[in-house]
Amino acid sequence: MSSSYLLRRVGYGLLLMLGVVVLNFLLIRLAPGDPAVVIAGEMGGATEEMLESIREEYGLNKPVLVQLWIYVAGVAQGNLGESFFFNQPVAKLIADRIGPTILLVVTAQLMSIALGVFLGVLAARKPNGVMSAFVSVFATIGYAVPVFWTGIMLIILFASSFPIFPVEGMQSVKLRDAAWYVQTADVLHHLILPAFTLAIIYLAQYARLSRASMLEVLGSDYIRTARAKGAPEKSVLFKHALRNAALPILTVAGLQFGNLISGALLVETVFNWPGMGRLAFDSILRRDYPTIMGVLFFASAMVVVANILTDISYRWADPRLRGKS
Amino acid sequence: MTDTPDYKAESPALEAWRMFRRNIPALCGVAMLTVIVLATLYGTFFYSGDPFDVVWAPHEPPGATPEFPLGTDYLGRNIVAGMLTGGGPTLAVGAAAAAITMVIGISLGALAGYYGGWVDNLLMRITEFFQVLPALLFAMVLVTLFSPSLWTIAIAIGVVSWPQTARLTRAEFLKIKELEYVTAARAIGARNKRIIWKVILPNAMPPLIVSATLTIGVAILFEAGLSFLGLGDPNVMSWGLMIGANREYILDAWWPVTFPGLAIFFTVFAVSLIGDGLNDAFNPKLRER
Amino acid sequence: MTALLEIEDLKVTFNTRYGQVTALDGVSLHVNAGETLGVVGESGCGKSITALATMGLIPMPPGRIAGGSIRLSGEELVGANPSRLRALRGADIAMIFQEPMTSLNPVFTVGDQIAEAIMLHQKVSPDQAFKDAVALLDRVGIPSPDARARDYPHQLSGGMRQRVMIAMAVSCRPKVLIADEPTTALDVTVQAQIFDLLNEIQRDFGAAIILITHDMGAISEMADRVAVMYAGRVIEEAGADDVLDHPQHPYSRGLIDCIPALGREDHALKEIPGVVPPLHLLGDGCAFADRCEHANDRCRREKPLLAAHGHHPAACHGVEEGRI
Repeated sequence: MSSSYLLRRVGYGLLLMLGVVVLNFLLIRLAPGDPAVVIAGEMGGATEEMLESIREEYGLNKPVLVQLWIYVAGVAQGNLGESFFFNQPVAKLIADRIGPTILLVVTAQLMSIALGVFLGVLAARKPNGVMSAFVSVFATIGYAVPVFWTGIMLIILFASSFPIFPVEGMQSVKLRDAAWYVQTADVLHHLILPAFTLAIIYLAQYARLSRASMLEVLGSDYIRTARAKGAPEKSVLFKHALRNAALPILTVAGLQFGNLISGALLVETVFNWPGMGRLAFDSILRRDYPTIMGVLFFASAMVVVANILTDISYRWADPRLRGKS
Repeated sequence: MTDTPDYKAESPALEAWRMFRRNIPALCGVAMLTVIVLATLYGTFFYSGDPFDVVWAPHEPPGATPEFPLGTDYLGRNIVAGMLTGGGPTLAVGAAAAAITMVIGISLGALAGYYGGWVDNLLMRITEFFQVLPALLFAMVLVTLFSPSLWTIAIAIGVVSWPQTARLTRAEFLKIKELEYVTAARAIGARNKRIIWKVILPNAMPPLIVSATLTIGVAILFEAGLSFLGLGDPNVMSWGLMIGANREYILDAWWPVTFPGLAIFFTVFAVSLIGDGLNDAFNPKLRER
Repeated sequence: MTALLEIEDLKVTFNTRYGQVTALDGVSLHVNAGETLGVVGESGCGKSITALATMGLIPMPPGRIAGGSIRLSGEELVGANPSRLRALRGADIAMIFQEPMTSLNPVFTVGDQIAEAIMLHQKVSPDQAFKDAVALLDRVGIPSPDARARDYPHQLSGGMRQRVMIAMAVSCRPKVLIADEPTTALDVTVQAQIFDLLNEIQRDFGAAIILITHDMGAISEMADRVAVMYAGRVIEEAGADDVLDHPQHPYSRGLIDCIPALGREDHALKEIPGVVPPLHLLGDGCAFADRCEHANDRCRREKPLLAAHGHHPAACHGVEEGRI
């Protein structure tokens, strides 16, 4: 992989992020009403003093382009504004909550890809078998279930009938002072239900996709070559075929990441997971715009990073793309 | 192959319809969706009354009182009434949002695919930009900024969902514009506008119809998610709102959240069965796999 | 003396949407150590199915070996257990495919792909296997093999890739090497090089080669003996010179007339009229009858059997009756 490619890719990512900042700026101005009032938050009951200090800080009395410059420069320095509801800098609010969100989203992504691909490969071995039928029915159902409802159903199931998983929060209060490994195990224990809820939709889609992709690859000449070498079936499936079938799966995984974050928003709300989704929900109910815009910025940044990682892994997986741009 | 058909060649649409007619899951989807739409349109004849009215004791379990077969919610509101009136807005917003998505996506995708060059470049950069924004979050922001109503919700969902349609349309246009009949149309002096809308678009329709169907499903889930978060129109009962309103009490009563959830599920399930059926009908070759 | 590889009365059927069709209908072939057997016929006549059946690579379902036997050094392969077949594949019987462009896995280096073949059948370290792979690449005439071994297939030309396929196939010194149209996808000049290489390999390794082709020209360069196949049957079998100089079956004559030859009176290339009939439409008579200018009622009614009537064995009523 050439470093110039990587550099260009990161540069383009930064450009997209600049776009998000400009969009945030425009949204506040497009919203009906006085931007200072919008920024203060309609629920805040802002005093005239507060509004004046906001106008001063954001330069709202100056020309629009100057305002934009002040806003962009502020973001570039890590200043995403002040949350008047939480009475904290937005950057700090998000810094406290981005970890749990990344943990949830990445776990769900890995879980859905690993299980989905595994099911898809099993199904592809017998295109007309039971597993294949199961995968296509499961994929259609997975697509149709509202993710927040799945979460609620799991909570009902596990809170009363099988109380083996915690259904709320990320940590048990009583373990606050326990050793680090006990705490880690506790977090993982709390992670299971929300991650599974989020994973299940995408799991179904990856299963269907990898089945189709594997079927196509299994019909190709190089699979016949692998068999002609005397390669055992396991190696044919998981080494020779899967590595090729993984290419479309990677593409979709990259494209799905934004949707995964949207899903995380709902799942965090359902399971009281202390992440950015929960923060977005709380700040939207309070019309705490600086926080909302900060969440939108960071969520988009996560998608940009995920896309760059997808591109890199795609080039790793497909040697034909290396050395090209 | 060899059993040469001696009947006249059918139009592709008719052929697709013949395939679709034999697809049992897809027909089940049509039946399910018909029942759901009829219930939301005419159900109120049987269950008149405001779904917001408190009519009974809270948390009456389903089946306990014949008047309220699905029970009551945490305030004592009739769940059947909510189910019947709550489907309308969900379906309407889903359909409107899908329409908006298709209009934006097809227009931009067609321009990008047909003209290529800098137009394509610019439009695809914009598309990529919109794909970076997490859709639900962006829709939440839009709805909050511009006060929730059925229209703002539909527009917000449309604004966040079009990029995929645009990419699909562009890909189809890139493929079709190289075909002979497009060259022929150009040779007889047809204008670009005519070639785009009258020559290429009709031939790009099959995958776009499938995509539109699936977009309806996604839009319905979107609307449900927004209403669940309390960002729907607060004056309109919807399935998502019912789940959101009752979610604090799920450990006391399972039914107020379960039934509306099932309704959303079956609606989207029906739509996606139809979508899969259309996909199979338009691509008969795939079925031999 | 028994032959190295003996195929006897092999029957292979496939389930298709036209019902069950017979792809191979009693094929018998044999090849001795160090010998090259040419199997010739148009596409769809069962050559490749014969090869795949020998490799144990018929997709089942929809395929099925309905009868007959395949013996390698006396060991029965039909119905042998899959792990035994796997141990033989690549080690004792190896195969080179028609499409070098698509027959190599695009995501692994060619060195790794050859090394894998070695490690599947021999107890050697990965490092040693890779060194062996480089040596094999050198052996098949690839310049700077050390660097090429680290290349991916898309970085090599078609001829190079076919050399890689050959290196992979001979990596475990197989007793039988099946080459299925190894040069069809290549340039004419490269074709000749590949044939030379196969001949050298055969001298060095002493392998028996089964060369599958539709090209009588390739047969005349490579083969010691020839079996002509049509519609899932062997219709003529003899020494290469016998078949080339005295073709018996009208189909064999047709194929030979397709060879472009210098100094022939009519420069226009001949071709056999019609196409191989689809398998599900085969009737009771000779499968070639519809395309044969000598066919009579008996040909359309009764299947001819492979038997020595004239110069050497052929399955043709016309030859039997001395009409042709």
